[in-house]
Amino acid sequence: MMMLFHLRRRFYLLRAGTGIQQAWTSSSCFFKDPSSSSSSGLVLQSQSTDVFQNLALEDWIDAHLDLQQRSILLLWRNRPAIVIGRHQNPWTECNMPAMRRAMIPLARRRSGGGTVYHDLGNLNLTFFASKKAYDRQRNLKVVTEALRRVCPDLDVQATDRFDILLNGHYKISGTASRLSRKSSYHHCTLLHSADRSALSSLLRPSCTGIQSNATPSVPSPVANLTDHAPSLQWEELLEALVQQYNSEFGLTSALTPVSPSDESLFPGVGNMEAELRSWEWTFGKTPKFRVETQLELRDKQLAAGCSAYLHMEVKNGLVESCRMDIPANWLPLRLSSTLSEVLLGERFCPHRAAAALTVFLRSESGQLHRRLCNLCEVLLAVMG
Amino acid sequence: MLSHSRCLTRNFGRSLSAIRQGNNVLARRATSGVSACHPITLNNSVSYNPRSSVFQIQYFRTSVAYRDEVVTVKTPAFAESVTEGDVRWEKAVGDAVAEDEVVCEIETDKTSVQVPSPAAGVIEELLVPDGGKVEGGTPLFRLKKGAGASKAPEAPKAEAPAASAPPPPSAAPTPPPPSSVEPIPTIMPTVPPVPAHAMDTKPVSAIKPTAVPAVPAAHAEGGSKAARTESRVKMNRMRLRIAQRLKEAQNTCAMLTTFNEVDMSNITDMRKAYKDAFLKKHNIKLGFMSAFVKAAAQALVDQPAVNAVIDDTTKEIVYRDYVDISVAVATPKGLVVPVIRNVEGMNFADIEKAINLLGEKARKNELAVEDMDGGTFTISNGGVFGSLFGTPIINPPQSAILGMHGIFDRPVAVGGKVEIRPMMYVALTYDHRLIDGREAVTFLRKIKSVVEDPRVLLLDM
Repeated sequence: MMMLFHLRRRFYLLRAGTGIQQAWTSSSCFFKDPSSSSSSGLVLQSQSTDVFQNLALEDWIDAHLDLQQRSILLLWRNRPAIVIGRHQNPWTECNMPAMRRAMIPLARRRSGGGTVYHDLGNLNLTFFASKKAYDRQRNLKVVTEALRRVCPDLDVQATDRFDILLNGHYKISGTASRLSRKSSYHHCTLLHSADRSALSSLLRPSCTGIQSNATPSVPSPVANLTDHAPSLQWEELLEALVQQYNSEFGLTSALTPVSPSDESLFPGVGNMEAELRSWEWTFGKTPKFRVETQLELRDKQLAAGCSAYLHMEVKNGLVESCRMDIPANWLPLRLSSTLSEVLLGERFCPHRAAAALTVFLRSESGQLHRRLCNLCEVLLAVMG
Repeated sequence: MLSHSRCLTRNFGRSLSAIRQGNNVLARRATSGVSACHPITLNNSVSYNPRSSVFQIQYFRTSVAYRDEVVTVKTPAFAESVTEGDVRWEKAVGDAVAEDEVVCEIETDKTSVQVPSPAAGVIEELLVPDGGKVEGGTPLFRLKKGAGASKAPEAPKAEAPAASAPPPPSAAPTPPPPSSVEPIPTIMPTVPPVPAHAMDTKPVSAIKPTAVPAVPAAHAEGGSKAARTESRVKMNRMRLRIAQRLKEAQNTCAMLTTFNEVDMSNITDMRKAYKDAFLKKHNIKLGFMSAFVKAAAQALVDQPAVNAVIDDTTKEIVYRDYVDISVAVATPKGLVVPVIRNVEGMNFADIEKAINLLGEKARKNELAVEDMDGGTFTISNGGVFGSLFGTPIINPPQSAILGMHGIFDRPVAVGGKVEIRPMMYVALTYDHRLIDGREAVTFLRKIKSVVEDPRVLLLDM
């Protein structure tokens, strides 16, 4: 309880004011407060393993706390989830049907960069600082030095692409960051003991034939720290990181647990979480892309088949244009063109498309109905 | 001279950094080492600072005379020796933006950088395509400064005085329909008084528009209250398709509707008596839909013609041995009709479970094509919106649809006496090409008898 009260007071002091008067008042309180000298920072550890709550907490800290005088380190980890970068295309980055089957959620973060697989063996670190103090190499130095202290034999190096490589070859950490109007944050992952087979099976495209200028991911061979240093414990790693952070930045902060769903400590974080969960954010923010692919159609009853072509343009996650080239002897042209029209304006999502297509299916019967059903199935498979 | 100005700059910069919080562009400029207010240093500092990035000089002259000018906003300098990035637009041409609102984001080497608008205004032109590459200093977009978006339709103020007879203010709202069931009044409402003599007749031309001078002023103040603009929204494909098919259905079927009323007292009592135990055992709520769905299934088994459909292409009547009931559900996205399969073999609990499962799937957007395709009969519940009476329209390619309406307390004759019972009107719209009047009425009466006394199901009556 004391800890929470103390934390609340610190946040109040840190919260940005709205005018000269308030700024002077808060900074004078700041200097009068004996515990908060300008040489202390804040090290927080999130108690939640929900990816949306943790991302919302990052956003909240970035938006609400005054990072000009101090920096904050946030440590967090998530239950299995896939996180794509701000300007990426989820259909090319991850296998969404497989994720649905495994009940693994998809989240889009606000920082740039590529796609990452999160699970409880993957530690996330977020370094919050002012835009002036934004220095990614320095942050990564905290990580590499901490690792060298706990496992002196480990060969870890930060590259100029801000990855951390183990033995010069395996990637154990990737970086992404965000520069907002007033502040910045740099977060990176650290593979302690993640499930590598899940990682490789899920990080592949949902469908082929997508052309887009969204930010691509650069795949690299990865390894876990525990593969090469099996005795490294999670708590040991956290402690080393906190100590190194304090010594690098000349601070004296202790690891403080926080709960990202606590509205009294973080007012408004629930709304941020809801926005991150929404379809409009996760899929609607995909940069415009085209789908050009071949569809293999089958009529099981007649043991016949044919190839068709699909050309689609998707903007903001909605189908902007759709054209299907289906041989006229398979399906009458009027049906193919009406089917294309029905999809216009709908979400590029198999469920919404299914709802739109069934209205259409009900009007046909017999052979046409069978072939239409098959076409719908194939179309929906394209949408992931 | 130079050293004096530099000293001034530093002090100014320091005090300005304390007021960083405000959306103060001047402060930002100050912290990058350039004084904003000292006219002497202004020109000097711009030329000495090659990294001066975001805004041009014009911006600082914010006097009224320069209010409507167009500024070109350039790409901010990138941190840490990064040379180029990709632009992702958040706003489009014509969008109004507030000061400091994010116009686009630039992705450079795993970093997403926000580019805010320097002032309130309207985006006039985007100088880089979405996803295009830019370097620090590349012109990004042109902003026409000026407060307030001009997106609202033209004010009708000009029109009102021009009108000869001002339209009556449409401000009086229509009285809202009674949504709650009120106690039945026991006395007849008073008849509104009829005027004792005919109204004075006057030729229209004689009526002077005396109210005119006052009203245009009121209109000018009220502004949009008397707006007479229209807006056109293109019909979306789904709506067009549904409209087309409904008309097709109307043109092929010989549609008519038969009505009946159902006394809901017994089923309401049964529900009250068992709902807690039902919830405990089956973990879902017991509603009224299960009774109607089961009643309909039973009636469909009894009257196979209602479960059949005419195949117009082969001119055959297709009789079906299974009963799949489509339940019409209104979702924010429109009407969705999931199907409960093989209802003839289900009991009330099974039906409630199936309805619940479909409802969950609909909410989570997981309904598949198979869940919504087919169906031999549809039930639509207008009662949730308060409907009293109405004619549902058949959902092709079926032959009939049952419409449930609201439950309202009404006085009815029971055993020679007047009693107040909760009554529901039900309507069956059917295709007369296939179903005769006698079959339709018998069908509906069967539903009525099952819902009024569910024991009928046990006795197979």
